[in-house]
Amino acid sequence: MSMRSQVYEWDAARETTPKSIASTIGNRISIFVGGVGNNITKPAETTATEFVVIEDIATTPSLGTVSVVVADETVRGLTTAAGGLAGPRAYVQVRINTTDYFLDPDNIPNDGIPGAASPYPRSINFQPSFNLYPDVYVLPGQVWDALITFYNDGFPTANFQASELMCFVKYTLYDGPDALIANKLLEMGISINPGNVDWYKRSLLQAQA
Amino acid sequence: MSMRSQVYEWSNLQANANQLRRTTGDLPVAVTANREYDIFTGGLGNNITKPAETTATQFIVIEDVAASPLLGGAVQIRINTTDYFQNPDVTDMSGIPGLASPYPRGAPSSMNATLATAGAVGSQNTLKSFDLYPDVYVLPGQTFQILYSSRLGTGVTASATEIVSCFLKYTLYDGPDALIANKLLELGVTINPNNVDWYKRSLIEQQQRSRAVAGGQQ
Repeated sequence: MSMRSQVYEWDAARETTPKSIASTIGNRISIFVGGVGNNITKPAETTATEFVVIEDIATTPSLGTVSVVVADETVRGLTTAAGGLAGPRAYVQVRINTTDYFLDPDNIPNDGIPGAASPYPRSINFQPSFNLYPDVYVLPGQVWDALITFYNDGFPTANFQASELMCFVKYTLYDGPDALIANKLLEMGISINPGNVDWYKRSLLQAQA
Repeated sequence: MSMRSQVYEWSNLQANANQLRRTTGDLPVAVTANREYDIFTGGLGNNITKPAETTATQFIVIEDVAASPLLGGAVQIRINTTDYFQNPDVTDMSGIPGLASPYPRGAPSSMNATLATAGAVGSQNTLKSFDLYPDVYVLPGQTFQILYSSRLGTGVTASATEIVSCFLKYTLYDGPDALIANKLLELGVTINPNNVDWYKRSLIEQQQRSRAVAGGQQ
């Protein structure tokens, strides 16, 4: 089990007393240790013998309607706010150590991937326009985070309720010898994926034989 | 991190004119019919600090553009002063229709601006008919614009403004990878992360062969 496909699902309401929307709207929230929704015990990091490849990232979608649509209408499963925008208008950014991955064309970090481009969950109404390729590599010893920001009060209640604001991360964890191979592939300029790690192992075995 | 997948999303939502960042107080603002809006510095919706351009050590490959499939929305790519999409008679056009490249995918293609309920939203799920292939290259030192226009404009019905959006997906090659991208362009090879990796591997193999030959001669 030295190459493992992993996922992390975050829901803003998955805690004993869900936070209020007013206290979190417009703020950047770590899905791992942000103190909102379900969290983990410490920041996400790789040890010296681990290598992480982030392959997909997604968040709750939004949909623009018309300014006259009143608040708290349900449009395709999303709730409208004043102004006619349905859903949370959420974005998710990947941060490696202190560097934000997604930038605007003026080289200033932005909010990240819009939920409308990479929706979670996917449905007939909300399909992805974005594919995280090339993948994002988290090298041994690095700290990484997924930061969610939402701008629209498209929620029917004052506090988060289940599935109203979610985030999803899919990554592959390479551990032990496979992490060493992943580093070697990185040096060689080869994409790190389970197929290429297996190819490198086979080529080592062939060289030995 | 010298090859990075990037996105930019624009919508006609703002709290103040010439706004840079999204805010929690953003509301829809009118889009004039048949007017081209630069989604980066057009002064409407969320904008950035300066026109989009590549530095001497950057290379951009635009892989997807999309717009709301509403109100005859369309999106054009302009590199320096040249529009990418043109009519067969080489005259100007508004670009890729939102109906062909919708954002979000699955979005409705109609809105009833007279209704104040969820019924205002059409029942269609618009899917894409268009794939930006071959990709569009923005070479080092070039300026590029993404221009959104709407044939009908928002606010056809008094006091109602539809929310429209535009989406751009591109890959930013920086530093050594931008040099490789230039080299691939010279060779006539498509620029994508796979081919940049292939070029790096071929350089490493070439180096290893040279070392082996030098070792054999000694």
